[in-house]
Amino acid sequence: MSVPLIEVDSVSKSFWIPDEPRHTVREHVMAGFAPRPRRRLPVLDSVSLQLRKGEALGVMGANGCGKSTLLKLVCGIYLPDDGTITTRAPITPILDLGVGWNPELDAVDNVYLIGGLMGLSLAEIARGLDAMLEFAQLRPYARMHLKHFSSGMAARLAYAVAFQAVREVLILDEVLAVGDAGFKQRCQARYREIRAAGHTTLVVSHDPLQIAAFCDRAVMLSGGRIVAEGAAPDVAQAYLSSLVKAG
Amino acid sequence: MSSNSIGLAWTLVRTDFKTRFHGTFSGFVWALLKPAAMFLVLMSVFSFLFKDPAYKLQLVVGLFLWDFFAEGTKNGLAALHSKSFLFRKLRVPLWILVVAAIANPFITLAVFTLVIVLFLTAVGQAPSLAGIGLFMLYCLALTLIVVGFSLATSVLFLKYRDLNQVWDMVTQAGFFLAPIIYPLGIVPEKFHFLFYLWPPTAIIEFSRTALVAGHAPSLLAHVYLLIEVAVMLTIGSLILKRMGPRAAELV
Repeated sequence: MSVPLIEVDSVSKSFWIPDEPRHTVREHVMAGFAPRPRRRLPVLDSVSLQLRKGEALGVMGANGCGKSTLLKLVCGIYLPDDGTITTRAPITPILDLGVGWNPELDAVDNVYLIGGLMGLSLAEIARGLDAMLEFAQLRPYARMHLKHFSSGMAARLAYAVAFQAVREVLILDEVLAVGDAGFKQRCQARYREIRAAGHTTLVVSHDPLQIAAFCDRAVMLSGGRIVAEGAAPDVAQAYLSSLVKAG
Repeated sequence: MSSNSIGLAWTLVRTDFKTRFHGTFSGFVWALLKPAAMFLVLMSVFSFLFKDPAYKLQLVVGLFLWDFFAEGTKNGLAALHSKSFLFRKLRVPLWILVVAAIANPFITLAVFTLVIVLFLTAVGQAPSLAGIGLFMLYCLALTLIVVGFSLATSVLFLKYRDLNQVWDMVTQAGFFLAPIIYPLGIVPEKFHFLFYLWPPTAIIEFSRTALVAGHAPSLLAHVYLLIEVAVMLTIGSLILKRMGPRAAELV
């Protein structure tokens, strides 16, 4: 069996919420730099998973179960408190339905900025620029500042850049949930192309149908722990059942 | 540094230039006019006080170096905060964001270097090639000091949100602590070491020695400068290394 491209081993993550907010030098000086009482907010508790080359793994769970935190840990944006995360391939992420756009720049400059951060060279961006704008159906708005874009337009551009930039592993939070029916179809078609080319994907979604259709395996998170793991349709069914019970 | 990192750094500098100066050359000219106007005002006022014929030359060197220090540290301190939209959603080498934020003040410094040399030549005090070389070395040292400072404060600013205001106050006082509008010679020599603790002082004094006085500072002075640069870069790198990995959690 091949070596996993992503290996999450017993990872735990908590956030510490201070009872008394202190954001400035002045506040720290006035408090004599005394330690603050803090509440621990556990988000993930000893989560383990593996993702092998060419696999598509779905992550499901209710709001606040730790899905987005898990993705940010895998992407290296957050550090785990305990456990280890090993990545053996470049990762291209789209988190929180978007990427980090600069609202004061136009679409072309933002594509250069985000494409560069996703690992594309200047030449690759220049070659793929037309295709990205075409995919996002934003060619007429190429020189419009992002602050004038709707959230849907910005999300379409994010997908266009990420689909162009994907090297090995593609991570999608709420995949294919943006844009109109036509854009969703193009995203799904492009996603299938990426899968057919042998790329690996990690997908978060609330939609059991999407997880069942687009993933091989899936895990379900609840209270920061993996409570179900297996073939994507089975986990999607388990998620639906959990919703019915909760309802 | 890979070619992709160089491409990314170039894109960051280019887009920063666009947002800062609205993508126009006239926007960039405004950045040059600010210290130039300051020079005219200060020279009009203080040339009556300091009768040294070289005063205006000393002033122009000090003022332009100070402008880079003030702008560079201000931009560097805010570098991560202003680019938090990037590292909250993508894994980004933070040091590139910090260095890119200092690039535009550095471009201004490069233009100022040309202005200073032309100015000195126009008033009949053309600097030697060795003098220009030394001045460029000091500009590099000042840039590295600004980078070291920015590596540390950019990530500290994510935690201490009034650090920019604290630094504004420090730079206001620092403008008068550095010998910009007055020659260091008016201060008793036994207190000089206190003035040299403020990093711009050494750079300004050494640059004046090389460009205006026309000779090189002592070897000991260069060793001091080297230590100052090494200390700033080391402290900056260590703080960024310690706090940087959790930067996305601080925003």
